[in-house]
Amino acid sequence: MPGGLFGQTLVVDVADASAERLPVPEDVQRAYIGGAGLGAWLLHRLAPAGVDPLAPEAPLAFVFSPLVGTPLTTSAKFAVVAKSPLTGMLNDALASSHFAIAGKLTGNDAIVVRGACREPSVLLVDGDGPRMEPAGDLWGLSAQDAEQRLRDRLGPAWRVASIGPAGERQVAYATVSHDGRHAGRGGLGAVMGSKRLKAVAVRASTKVAPADPPGVLAAARELRARSFGPATAKYRELGTLANLLAFNAIATLPTRNFQEATFAEAPRLSAEDLADARGVARDSCASCSIGCEHIYRRADGRRTRVEYENVFALGPLCGVSDPDAVLEASARCDELGLDTISAGGTIAWAMECVERGLIDAPWLRFGDAGALLRALEEIGAREGLGELLALGSRAAAQVVGQGSEAFAPHVKGLELPGYEPRTLHAMALGLAVNARGADHNRSGAYEADLSGRLERLAGGDAHVAAAIETEDRAAIMDSLILCKFLRGVFEDPYPEWARLLGLVTGWDVDGAELAETARRIVLAKRAFNIREGWTRADDTLPERLLAESVEVGSGREGTLTKDLLDRMIDRYYQARGLDAEGLLQPGERVLFEDSDRGHLHALTD
Amino acid sequence: MAQAAGIVLAGGRSSRMGTAKAALEWHGSTLLRRVVGVVDRAVDGPVVVVRAPGQELPALPDGIEVVEDAREGRGPLQGMAAGLAAVRDRAAVAYVSSTDVPLLHPSFIRRVLAALRDDVDVVLPHVGGFPHPLAAAYRVELVDAIERLIVEDRMRPAFLFDACRVERLDAASLLADPPLAALDPQLDSVLNLNEPADYQAARERPAPEVAVRRFGVLRRLSNGAPDPALIAAATLGEAAAATGLALDEHVVAALNGDQITRDPETPLVAGDTVAFLSADAGG
Repeated sequence: MPGGLFGQTLVVDVADASAERLPVPEDVQRAYIGGAGLGAWLLHRLAPAGVDPLAPEAPLAFVFSPLVGTPLTTSAKFAVVAKSPLTGMLNDALASSHFAIAGKLTGNDAIVVRGACREPSVLLVDGDGPRMEPAGDLWGLSAQDAEQRLRDRLGPAWRVASIGPAGERQVAYATVSHDGRHAGRGGLGAVMGSKRLKAVAVRASTKVAPADPPGVLAAARELRARSFGPATAKYRELGTLANLLAFNAIATLPTRNFQEATFAEAPRLSAEDLADARGVARDSCASCSIGCEHIYRRADGRRTRVEYENVFALGPLCGVSDPDAVLEASARCDELGLDTISAGGTIAWAMECVERGLIDAPWLRFGDAGALLRALEEIGAREGLGELLALGSRAAAQVVGQGSEAFAPHVKGLELPGYEPRTLHAMALGLAVNARGADHNRSGAYEADLSGRLERLAGGDAHVAAAIETEDRAAIMDSLILCKFLRGVFEDPYPEWARLLGLVTGWDVDGAELAETARRIVLAKRAFNIREGWTRADDTLPERLLAESVEVGSGREGTLTKDLLDRMIDRYYQARGLDAEGLLQPGERVLFEDSDRGHLHALTD
Repeated sequence: MAQAAGIVLAGGRSSRMGTAKAALEWHGSTLLRRVVGVVDRAVDGPVVVVRAPGQELPALPDGIEVVEDAREGRGPLQGMAAGLAAVRDRAAVAYVSSTDVPLLHPSFIRRVLAALRDDVDVVLPHVGGFPHPLAAAYRVELVDAIERLIVEDRMRPAFLFDACRVERLDAASLLADPPLAALDPQLDSVLNLNEPADYQAARERPAPEVAVRRFGVLRRLSNGAPDPALIAAATLGEAAAATGLALDEHVVAALNGDQITRDPETPLVAGDTVAFLSADAGG
């Protein structure tokens, strides 16, 4: 057995707590590593084709990785993986916390939940195996309150991943939360809610050693020292909210549902100003030396963790500039268990619908902080307009019709993050083709746009290469797992990552193998989506972004056209070895049709 | 097809200057690099540098094209013919510039190009008592007429102007454009350098005033410096130095909210705003 791994996945049917151990052969582990990669393999194995994401038989996987539990900084992360109720496609969302360490040290590389409970329940997993407990008293609580109550009851050694009221009510973009962090995107909380599973609690009961403990320790010391350098200064000093004012200056801050790319009131929400006035603390995830979490004080004295995406989606995207309102909305999303990006995107779409007379809710206006908060409450409760908005912008636009689909801000159903595609053309491609949908964590192509290495307003071959490079790197970091905020400290990433993986597992893996692994993982996700009905038409951007321009400060226009995007997508498919329709070539296509081992080699044919 | 191309003639003999004008130092950059950068900002089509046969040029940014005069030393029409021929299928009009205009401002180019109506073939600024054919806009299709003049050995631009529709713009007409009036009120855009004394005098002028903004961590490190801060800088490198920043792997800049760059030779002009950002923006 390689170091750092157990070679098995625990598969629990929560209807009766029956469990089986699914062996994960070493070649599978080496081919998919862990986290998002292993999650993709598990979904291929365990999700029935065409399964309803909210049906009992739909699997929900909590996936750990070889590096979890080592002293390597930022490695205490886990992936939650399922077919998304928001997109209908493969979704993996990562979170950082002690849940990752305790969950892995139950003796499993992953814990997969299937079935549905008859009543609200909690799944407990430790050395005694899985068992269920009723959770009627927790139902309706916020994830944080449920987590605290469970730990009070079970003891501090237990770590809890929970859903909030939004997950219970199967809001399509509900989160899974632990320790204030969220596996946020794609509605995995709704999958848990559909199983009437309020929480999963895990307790460490065993140990697993790396192959080379002194080597890992030395590497961890070195990586930790590098994590204090200038490549992570932004996260330490101001956190991700530092993006907001900078993005506004270069017209890449989506505003009022992507009607504009700058927000005149952005300075009111800037980290540069708010950090001094409201910053009260800085915090870290488990096993992290970066410390990117910045905690701000609200007017009522309560504290809220701020991130760029929260503030962007609940601020400029909805036209709201009152920092107290935006922080309160962000905190409320945390309590309800809502993905802030999808919540903000869906509400912004609804605000525009109201503006155009397509939805009869005159109270819901751009810039109205009270309306934003009311909308969040209605979504969390699935009452009033919230019943519609709980579907997400794509499905809600299909209900409303009347052309509102053209400005629903999503790709594959997942709402767009705070990166304006019309002024970031590499990112535009990354958002269009990514398996998860419009997401900045699976495609970090904005790095190339913001590097100066290419012309960000004129997409072409260089942008395609950048989109592939960042997508591949994300696939490896999400599978090892290491935090992407660490990405800047690696000068030659693949060999450096291979060395870390080799020290932990004992594998003689090198950079070239990891590069191939990255491609395999990206294609594995695509293959799952194809199985579930994906077509080339899904690799696109909202119609608005291909029809309307935005202006940058120099007066130049940021413009995307369908022709330009299609040309980049064609080149992306070619470079990925896909056919013209974005499908896997025959030698690769068969691979996931067989459920067992043979497919591993087909991917590298 | 783009509306406007840029053509920079670099092949002159520089006999009075005594040294190649294109390579003259300009605030840590070169004269040619500066003019090319300024022209590039004002046109939406290709920018072409025309050099003499075998002429060595200083470093140019990516994307700038270089073509050669068919013959050396025959005057501006020869170079214009080469430049216009290079862009004839890619732009309708072209702004043609000499190399020796370090105070050229993009708003001047925009003003001149904007005057090229459908019923006009050439827009010819007339400033300081002189026409400025190498600070002018031309319809690209004039290349045929120019080549005929070359064959006839009629090498003065005036022969071309006799044969086409010319819109002459005097200083008042040029300055009727509010952006130009605000940013280049003395029309220094047409100030060309012929002798070493011209160069020295121009070089001793203060650098243009630009606004500098710092974002994120960079602002935190600025010890309360005003935002924006007004500084004098002719290049991005000078602006970074004046701001106490190095354009290393952790810092990039956006000029007027547009393209991101780390090129320290990027020319700056009066009225510019430079935004310095952390290179790890995003995440």
